[in-house]
Amino acid sequence: MIEVQNITKKYGDFVAVNNASFKIAEGEVVGFLGPNGAGKSTTMSMITGFIEPTSGTILVNNFDINKKPTQAKKQIGYMPENVPLYLELTVKEFISYMADLKLVKRKEKKDEVDRVINVTGLENVKGKLIKNLSRGYRQRVSLAGALVGNPPILILDEPTVGLDPKQVIEIRNLIKSLGKEHTILVSSHILSEISQMCNKIIIIDKGKILRIDSTEKIEKTATDSSEVIVTVEDEENKFETLKKTISNISEIKLIKENKTEKVYSVKYKGNEDIRKILFKECANKDITIVEMKKKENSLEDAFLKITEEGGKK
Amino acid sequence: MLAIIKKELKSYFFTPIGYIFIALFMIVVSFVFYMYTFAQGSLKFEYVVWDSTVVLSFIIPMLTMRMFAEEKKTGTDQLLMTSPKSIINIVLGKFFAATLVTVIGLALLFIYYAILRFFGNVSLVEPLVAMLGFVLLSMAYISFGMFASSITENQVIAAVVSIGFFLIVSFLQNYQGLVEMFSLVQMYQKFPQGIISLKEVVGYISFILLFVLLTIIILQRRKSVK
Repeated sequence: MIEVQNITKKYGDFVAVNNASFKIAEGEVVGFLGPNGAGKSTTMSMITGFIEPTSGTILVNNFDINKKPTQAKKQIGYMPENVPLYLELTVKEFISYMADLKLVKRKEKKDEVDRVINVTGLENVKGKLIKNLSRGYRQRVSLAGALVGNPPILILDEPTVGLDPKQVIEIRNLIKSLGKEHTILVSSHILSEISQMCNKIIIIDKGKILRIDSTEKIEKTATDSSEVIVTVEDEENKFETLKKTISNISEIKLIKENKTEKVYSVKYKGNEDIRKILFKECANKDITIVEMKKKENSLEDAFLKITEEGGKK
Repeated sequence: MLAIIKKELKSYFFTPIGYIFIALFMIVVSFVFYMYTFAQGSLKFEYVVWDSTVVLSFIIPMLTMRMFAEEKKTGTDQLLMTSPKSIINIVLGKFFAATLVTVIGLALLFIYYAILRFFGNVSLVEPLVAMLGFVLLSMAYISFGMFASSITENQVIAAVVSIGFFLIVSFLQNYQGLVEMFSLVQMYQKFPQGIISLKEVVGYISFILLFVLLTIIILQRRKSVK
């Protein structure tokens, strides 16, 4: 369990994190979402005890990270941004060093290192020097370093950045499977990616927490729109006159036009589904509807929308 | 702490640094040994040890410049500082690892003593006391080098600051009075005579403690400043 209470981090006059509070319950997989420079990494660094907040407290499984650092840090496996590693060590040496740092008992060390190598799929490169590994493997080594010692909480800072699509899927699946046994906080600036791994999302921008909600709810507000795209065959340009007959319509705009077909965007007010009304009216006026669909916002649009709204407040 | 010492030693000897350090050290001490034993026919091995300390000003920074500067630059300090190990543990681990490397160099120097001993009647006490002084002086240099490495993320700056400091400190012995007391080299003078003087030992230990402590404070401060 992670409890962040009113933390603020200032660098001189610049406020990197502004009075942020949230709670992550045991077993939750939470996405930490925000554009670059939003304060994600700073917040994560504070939770892991790498830097101290200017004010506020952070409890990790009920241990204050700044008052009882040893106990609190034992609870956390941290995968920092940009995967810092000791390049002169081999994969196995690195993981075994991390096990030492995490105070894994001498007797259990060998088994623990083997387990982590197995989980992260590093079996065939364990004897290689880290400096000779590709980005994808380095990312896994870094993740292995976070996993060793089996800490109940994992904090992963942009674990999929810089990977090719196949590796992204692999890491994502790995994190998903880890979610069964660990409490995870994973950051990213890509909503679609977060939404596939997490059941809860925290959105942060310019150091402020804008929204904390379940993934479904955020996706729903994200994709909800009041716009319908209609393709019609309408030689006499009757479609545009519908604006007068249907009161709910706020705007009709011609998007595309070829010889026979015209594509309109119809914006409307109210909660009623305008498609049924449109269908009937078009039939009355003898307009042929070739295609009609509700416009879906991409998750990226939604994310921009939420962060922009937050900025205006 | 043992884990950190082990890893640091690996880092020294899996990269060329440890070997270059020992090689440079051996080149200089071999030359010194030749000058004393063959050119001058002296059997005073303690003065071989004494003169070998000159090279420490230049090679100790090789061991210390990376300590914290590189960790900070590559971001691996995030792994160290977020682990349950305390800062004191980390600092002492790195400090003793570097000390061990210089002790390895010193042990190799002992081979020359064995050669002398084989051929002649050489006293053991003075060289051993000189070696104790050697270790204390190395530790003092390492503690300062470590401190220099903790205040920057640039290894070159850390090295230049350390070498500059060691040179200034070496010149201090030419002055009288208060300044002289800060001369690490001056403090060394009694050791080759076979005298372990409390004043000098305490002097070295206070210097070492001061800079180990300053390093710990700097790293602790970094948490709230960063």
